[in-house]
Amino acid sequence: MGETFWAIRCVYFRYLAVFRKNVLYSLMTTIVEPMLYLLSFGFGLATMINEVGVGGKMISYRAFVLSGFVGQSVLFQGFFEAAYGGFIRMYYQKIFKAMATTPVTLDEVLWGELTWDATKGTLSAGMVLLIGSILGDFNPWGALILFPLCYVFCFIFAGLGLWVSSLASTIEQLAYPQYLFVFPMFLFGGVYFPMDRLPPIVGKVAWALPLTPCLEITRGLLFNVPIGWYCWALVAFWAVVLPWTSHGAMKRRLVK
Amino acid sequence: MVTALEVNALVKHYKGRQKVEAVNGVSFSVSPGQIFGLLGPNGAGKSTTINCIIGFFPPTSGTVQVMGYDVHTEPKKARQLLGVCPQEDTLDTDFTVRDQLERHATFFKMTKAEAKRRTDELLERFNLAEKAKENVESLSGGMRRRLQVARALISSPKVLVLDEPTTGLDPDARRTLWDIMEEHRAEGLAILLTTHYMEEAERLCDRIALIHGGKILDENTPRALIDKHVAKEWIEEEIRPGVKWKRPANLEDVYLSVTGSKLAAAEA
Repeated sequence: MGETFWAIRCVYFRYLAVFRKNVLYSLMTTIVEPMLYLLSFGFGLATMINEVGVGGKMISYRAFVLSGFVGQSVLFQGFFEAAYGGFIRMYYQKIFKAMATTPVTLDEVLWGELTWDATKGTLSAGMVLLIGSILGDFNPWGALILFPLCYVFCFIFAGLGLWVSSLASTIEQLAYPQYLFVFPMFLFGGVYFPMDRLPPIVGKVAWALPLTPCLEITRGLLFNVPIGWYCWALVAFWAVVLPWTSHGAMKRRLVK
Repeated sequence: MVTALEVNALVKHYKGRQKVEAVNGVSFSVSPGQIFGLLGPNGAGKSTTINCIIGFFPPTSGTVQVMGYDVHTEPKKARQLLGVCPQEDTLDTDFTVRDQLERHATFFKMTKAEAKRRTDELLERFNLAEKAKENVESLSGGMRRRLQVARALISSPKVLVLDEPTTGLDPDARRTLWDIMEEHRAEGLAILLTTHYMEEAERLCDRIALIHGGKILDENTPRALIDKHVAKEWIEEEIRPGVKWKRPANLEDVYLSVTGSKLAAAEA
């Protein structure tokens, strides 16, 4: 166990070293994107929209959409890093194999990949939480509790990303899950507007996808409204199923 | 005799839609201070054998031991003593030449100071010192290959696996690699080498196994293989119309006669 922990840490540090080496690039990709959305929606669009209801409470649209960006950050950062970054590392750089022919095993390499991908998204979500708290839109204590939970959320989407990357035979094929699954989830999962505005059938479909329960927990903590137990159950379910599925699928792809 | 690498009755069948019997009972051993050549045509089972030896693919049956540790049941202990230069380029292009080596050292639990000392040593030996701060992407093909062999040596392994290390290299770069291999052999390293260049195998290898159809057809010293499989000591060929060329029999003749006839038989 200690050996495994040490090995995953080694792999994790490899990613951290790359992140630190290109620190400006890394910070830009991690932080600039949520900032742009924040400015455009939070300060632009939000002035045109009145309050929205969340769990029986009325809150400003700016606060609503800012909290949505927490979900967007974990989704996009986790998914894209694992899907595209993972594919490049697996297919073009072949460094999964390079690392997995040392005392570090492929199992450990893949857990290192997933834990790092989740870290990147958490940093990005943390930025949004910080800004929302400073603006007074979020309950800062809720934000503090939510921050480590974002890591769990992000782990789900990193798992999704690595899974599709293990199934794709070319990098172009990653566009299928991206456009048919990730973008719809982002647009209809409750980032921009409350789910009750959608036809009930769309709402039902959205609940079958992992982003919606993450957003419910996010808003519950940030706006002090009750969170249904099923949200926790769904998040726990996805956080186990997707990373494990992706780990197994990637192993099957590489090891014959 | 002590063996550094021991491959025993290795079998590997690929499952899936079509069952492929890639390796069918391969056994050989490599002693310290020996270069062992694994030769065979494409599709003979070389790459599968190598992937099983480095512990990347689990074998269907059979064992591989590095200094007495089983690669599959004790992968961490075995691979601590194993250096691997795979056939494909697996350099980490996010790092510079120096970082590449020092980063790889961390996977072997080497201390920072140790990693730095060993990196300096290898960069010097592989003529890469001037490129230490450059990104891997800016290196020529020959330099990348050299760096990959250097990386395989970072942990001062007891067994080194080199899968076609000289493919595509110019004569100068190839010669440098030969010298390095010979030096390490003199220091007691056991090297497993695959190559498609017969003169390279004949010159470097202490022993050679010819593999085809997932089986070892013959194994011996290059000289003994030539004596056994090529009847004549001198070969006369007409290399251009009217131009005759007389040369001593070499390993290529062995390779062609042993694996070539098998290929013809397989196609018939």
